[in-house]
Amino acid sequence: MPPAKALLTKARFQLRGTRRVLMAQSRFKIFFITAFALLFEAILCLVFHDAFRFLDNFGGAGLMMIGRLFALFFLGLGMMLTVSGLVTSYSTLFGSDEIPFLLVRPFSMSTITVYKFIQAAGFASWAFFFIVLPFISAYAWHQRMSPLFVLWTLLFSIPFLFLFAGFGTLAILLAVRWLPRSPRIRNGLLGLVGVLLVTGLFLADPPMDTLSDTQFNITSLIPGLRLAAHPLSPSFWIAEGITSLTHGATRRGLLFFAALVSSALLTGLVIERVGARTFYDAWQRSSAGSARMRRRPVLLVALRRLRALLPSDIAAIIAKDIRTFFRDPVQWSQAVVFFGLLALYFFNLRRFNYNLLPDQWRSAIVFLNVFAVSAVLSSLGSRFVYPQLSLEGHSFWMLVLSPATMPRIMAAKFLLAFAATATVSVTLIAVSVNMLGTGLAINAAALAVIAAVSLSVCGLSTGLGAVFIDLEQRNPAAIVSSFGGTLNIVLCLGYMLAVILPFGVLFHLREIGSLGAGIFRNSLAAASVWLLLLTLAATVLPLLFGLRALYRRIPVNPGKAL
Amino acid sequence: MIELDNLCKTYGALRALDNLSLTIPAGELFCFLGPNGAGKTTTIKILTGLVRATSGRALVDGTDIQHDPIAVKRQIGYIPDTPYLYERLTVTEFFHFYGELFDIPDPRIDAELERNFTRFGLLEHRGALVKELSHGLRQRLIYATTFLHNPKVMLIDEPFVGLDPYTIRLIKDLLRAHTRAGGTILLTTHILAIAEDIADRIGIINRGRLVALGTLAELRREHDGASLEDLFLKLTRPDGV
Repeated sequence: MPPAKALLTKARFQLRGTRRVLMAQSRFKIFFITAFALLFEAILCLVFHDAFRFLDNFGGAGLMMIGRLFALFFLGLGMMLTVSGLVTSYSTLFGSDEIPFLLVRPFSMSTITVYKFIQAAGFASWAFFFIVLPFISAYAWHQRMSPLFVLWTLLFSIPFLFLFAGFGTLAILLAVRWLPRSPRIRNGLLGLVGVLLVTGLFLADPPMDTLSDTQFNITSLIPGLRLAAHPLSPSFWIAEGITSLTHGATRRGLLFFAALVSSALLTGLVIERVGARTFYDAWQRSSAGSARMRRRPVLLVALRRLRALLPSDIAAIIAKDIRTFFRDPVQWSQAVVFFGLLALYFFNLRRFNYNLLPDQWRSAIVFLNVFAVSAVLSSLGSRFVYPQLSLEGHSFWMLVLSPATMPRIMAAKFLLAFAATATVSVTLIAVSVNMLGTGLAINAAALAVIAAVSLSVCGLSTGLGAVFIDLEQRNPAAIVSSFGGTLNIVLCLGYMLAVILPFGVLFHLREIGSLGAGIFRNSLAAASVWLLLLTLAATVLPLLFGLRALYRRIPVNPGKAL
Repeated sequence: MIELDNLCKTYGALRALDNLSLTIPAGELFCFLGPNGAGKTTTIKILTGLVRATSGRALVDGTDIQHDPIAVKRQIGYIPDTPYLYERLTVTEFFHFYGELFDIPDPRIDAELERNFTRFGLLEHRGALVKELSHGLRQRLIYATTFLHNPKVMLIDEPFVGLDPYTIRLIKDLLRAHTRAGGTILLTTHILAIAEDIADRIGIINRGRLVALGTLAELRREHDGASLEDLFLKLTRPDGV
């Protein structure tokens, strides 16, 4: 059997094994996950549809925006896929236990690289399709397009997925092989690449004096529009191809499809060639790299001062978790990318002239920004906070056998998560309201809501992480995508919507003059009580349930420990 | 120092421990022998509180871990056969982390670090990540850290698996020194020669029951001078063999 065929057979067997594992799960659990996933998709679809209807209010400009939004949406997804491809390719190519197994079997380096690239693209595709489906459904619904539109989009999405995930794979292959070992030179180079990328994106924006008034307004409101709609941009090909096929322009549609497929195949070919030449050396370098590195015995020595502020065991766990986090580039790079993109956007709000918009618009943007930061918080809470107890894994015995009690272990996890997320999210919203120049009341409400979201996301994620603790699982992705992980993100998103909407709607109604001062004050007080009660419930209850679950799992009598 | 009183543990229909009673006084190195699945690790896990007994009592220095877990945890040191450690901490950070968990003051942690790292040959690895250590170095690290809080009772599961002769000798000397200083050690092993070499007393467990107990000389005397290997095989023979 040729080696590549053996890999396909293995993948088939693994799929069969996964199916067996799924069949062995409780029906209720599968039903619950499916129902929540469908509900989430439906809500997302409704939100997108409402956004399209909102843009209708702007007449011709709105229509232009909707047309271009499709290309912009795919450009955004493409960027997300590239970043996702970078991260997943690093773990599949250089962090996977399967690689040493494959290296001593008769597989060529190019086969291993392509196999792992496909695997990485597969991992990245999950979130991609989860977002694509509700967006295109809402778009088709709003534009009254034929259901074929959804089918064409899915067909076009496959080469698009491989194309952009491939950019990530290529970048990581070259970086691991060629990036200098010296942290100073390496960080300098990475900084330079970042600066070049940002400069490139800014240069891609249109010069204002060459545009018509309408175009000026659209491009200044929606960054990246010109890049997305550029004829050489794959996001333009996919947007144009799908709409052409839906409207019956088959030849034009197929032309764009061929452009996407050939580009994806070319990317695959380049990955195969680059893999053949660099993967083995890159893998050797990544395996030997950390062992060869002269490392300081203690990272962030200042963390020892935590003992003066906190009980010794809690300080020890927090310091351990911080050091572990910074030692894992896959972990911190995701947080940096998510929050970095938001920070970049917030710091440039004035560049898009958002601060000159009418009050009702700025009020809406403030709460949309709170929504965006909260969505990132929910996703990071599920990605990093939820699995942290499970990731103690087989080392958990050490904590259990130490005098650190369960409440203190959970307190350490919760405190660290809250301190980190609240600092970043409150700072981001403070930047956002400052850039928009909104009033004191709206600023205070936005900051209070984001602080509450940080608290609840950490409470939910730490608590549910304890309820569904899985000490056998060493793969964070598997922990995150488990039943508990899915429930956690759904509850986080649900909570987030439940607390942001009342404030967003109230301030919007006030700004458009639909609410009198008295009613507004009373409604704001009611919304604040609602925020307080819901936050308390979303924080305290999961932590208590989590604690009870931990005691059930680890049967040391809690009586005296508490 | 260790007292097991009619200890029982059942997993459904399986009786992992069946009325196990045993007393290990202070200053004794006790070797627990038995085939796979005999109940050795279950006994240790009950003593550490990782598993709750179905009935009976397990006392450390007169205290049941189920009644006062913190007091017992301060007195015990546990070394599993394959200790999973925090892989992304350096050897130094791991040592500090362990000391802080037991609320040991920083100056004492630093002093013990110097002493123990020198003794266990870890000084040159102090900046290495735990994940970069070989199995033997990991074992040395876990021994170096577990003795940091001066536990009165050491519970050790298979202490010599995969170690080089130098490390085995180092650990044997360490265990002997611990008992000479009044500490108690309960260790399990499959290497009978080790038990013959270092144990003050030996207990053989089979299917959750203690089937032999005594010093090596007493056991041999009771079984017509048979070697430890012969009497182990005789007492733990599966049905039908």
